[in-house]
Amino acid sequence: MEIIRIEGMTKRFPVGNGEFTALKNVDLSIAEGEFVGLVGPSGSGKTTLLNIIGSLDTPSDGTATVINQDVSSLSHKQSALLRNIHLGFIFQTYNLLPVYTVYENVEFALLLQNMSATARKKAVMDALDWVGLTDKIKSKPAMLSGGESQRVAIARAMVKKPKIVLADEPTANLDSENSHHILQTMLKLNKELKTTFVFATHDEKVMKYLRRKISLADGKVIADELMQTEKSKQY
Amino acid sequence: MLAIKLAFKNLMGAGLRTWLNVIVLSLAFVLIIFYNGLMDGWNRQARNDTQDWEIGNGQFWHPDYDKFDPYTIEESNEVISDEIQTLIEEDKVTPLLIRQITIYPQGRLMSARLKGVDPNQEIIKLPSADIRNSQNKYAAIIGEGMANATKLKVGDQVLMRWRDKNGTFDAHEIEIVSIFNCNVPQVENGTIYMDIEVVQEMANLHNQATMLVTSRDYENTKLEGWEFKDLNFLLAEFDKIIESKKGGGMVLQSILLLLALLAVFDTQVLSIFRRQKEIGTYMALGLTRTRIVGIFTVEGAAHSILAAIVGAIYGIPLFIYLSKVGIYYGNIAKASGLTIAETLYPYYSVGLIITSIIIVVVSATIVSYLPARKISKMSPTQALKGKIQ
Repeated sequence: MEIIRIEGMTKRFPVGNGEFTALKNVDLSIAEGEFVGLVGPSGSGKTTLLNIIGSLDTPSDGTATVINQDVSSLSHKQSALLRNIHLGFIFQTYNLLPVYTVYENVEFALLLQNMSATARKKAVMDALDWVGLTDKIKSKPAMLSGGESQRVAIARAMVKKPKIVLADEPTANLDSENSHHILQTMLKLNKELKTTFVFATHDEKVMKYLRRKISLADGKVIADELMQTEKSKQY
Repeated sequence: MLAIKLAFKNLMGAGLRTWLNVIVLSLAFVLIIFYNGLMDGWNRQARNDTQDWEIGNGQFWHPDYDKFDPYTIEESNEVISDEIQTLIEEDKVTPLLIRQITIYPQGRLMSARLKGVDPNQEIIKLPSADIRNSQNKYAAIIGEGMANATKLKVGDQVLMRWRDKNGTFDAHEIEIVSIFNCNVPQVENGTIYMDIEVVQEMANLHNQATMLVTSRDYENTKLEGWEFKDLNFLLAEFDKIIESKKGGGMVLQSILLLLALLAVFDTQVLSIFRRQKEIGTYMALGLTRTRIVGIFTVEGAAHSILAAIVGAIYGIPLFIYLSKVGIYYGNIAKASGLTIAETLYPYYSVGLIITSIIIVVVSATIVSYLPARKISKMSPTQALKGKIQ
């Protein structure tokens, strides 16, 4: 079942007196439960595409339909609701809230939803269990390693069981071992919860895990291929 | 609720920066309450003293009497009727007969007011019984202010010249039998008090008075042939002084509050600039921009709540101490010419505290909201990159 559809999408940014075209006439379709990577060098447009899918930005031309909602036509409130209910984000720099504990960081995503405290606690503990951080619930982000921080970010993205998780260079700041753990965790969640994962990456380590690789260059999709690597077959 | 929880978490997380703002804001709090408490204490004390010493619960004036026009005094006398006599006997009112006189202390000429007062009255605090206890028919009492101005002491005799109702001059030595201390300058300065019957005889105004001072429990405001002057009228000048003093104080308080608010404003601007990634993260997590503006506004406003708590920690003991011990003004009080006690006891009312809290909290909320509005224009992607200038 199609969960993301991009049709004839172009994104332009104003630069000085002119414009920079980050995405040019992109067509794309991603089905539910996919584990897909947007790959390409810096400036190829992968983060821009990820932001539009995440309704953090809107296309200049064309349409981006995410879970049957055209992101261009959503109000600020509607796109906030879409992100809150259906989308999870994982950032390269983790973006954990520094004054909160691990538990509170993960819980934050649920505070906006009308959930009882008991249900919230269970969901947070389950999410931390998925990423193996139940022993760090009282730690502040400053006390965590890079790998641990990214696992907290994954737990935060996953705690509300979103339909889509968007990860922008999730392993860029991690060493091989931590990257491996993070991707294993994501693959596991993708398998168990049927969550769609979309990565923006140029990290070779990530590519080994992808089941589908969409290559971008100069704002255009230049290749869209299914992967059959050993890692991606594990789950 | 979420905004409040987040705001306090972020404030605590900001550490020293928060506490510096809070301390400055709490100083503004304490100063505003202290100064206004001092003014209110002064106001209460001065009103009380003026009522005790001079005006009771109001005065009945002869319709022609104008305290600012000495020429009206000669004609502003009314016969004390039987009805008034009954009120005097019941201690409901006490008559005063006022005359313009000249005295010659140490050979100097000095204009003064002579007030004839009932030696048996107990309505005003004036020690009029001292006149009654003297054997001298021309016994007089004066306040410390008058004594200092004339260099007169108890037992001194001084020549007094007056005119009777027909304009005929007469003169006699009077004896100072007592000098009283009072906080109300207009009771003391330029005034000599003698037995009203003696003054009536001197002025040939038998059984007449210029005004009637009512007792604290007397509430009737109508007496045939007299004009009632209520407390608002009689204390109007003093109210204006307090108003102007408060106005002057307000400038100082506003400057301090402004400095404190500037610190909060500055912190907010810096906070929003430095926490763009956090703002972007909030957006990515699904918070609406309005809600994020709310979080930052509450965070700024929470400085004032913490300031109220911190201010209360050191302010309450200070205020309790000052309201018990008072603030000693000494000779400055007398020299000022204002109705002011030597020791002022500040008065901190619930109304004053609530008003001060509202002023500080509302102003802190406004200055927190102004920079936070910028968030509503932020693009989530730019905020996440932390690139907004």
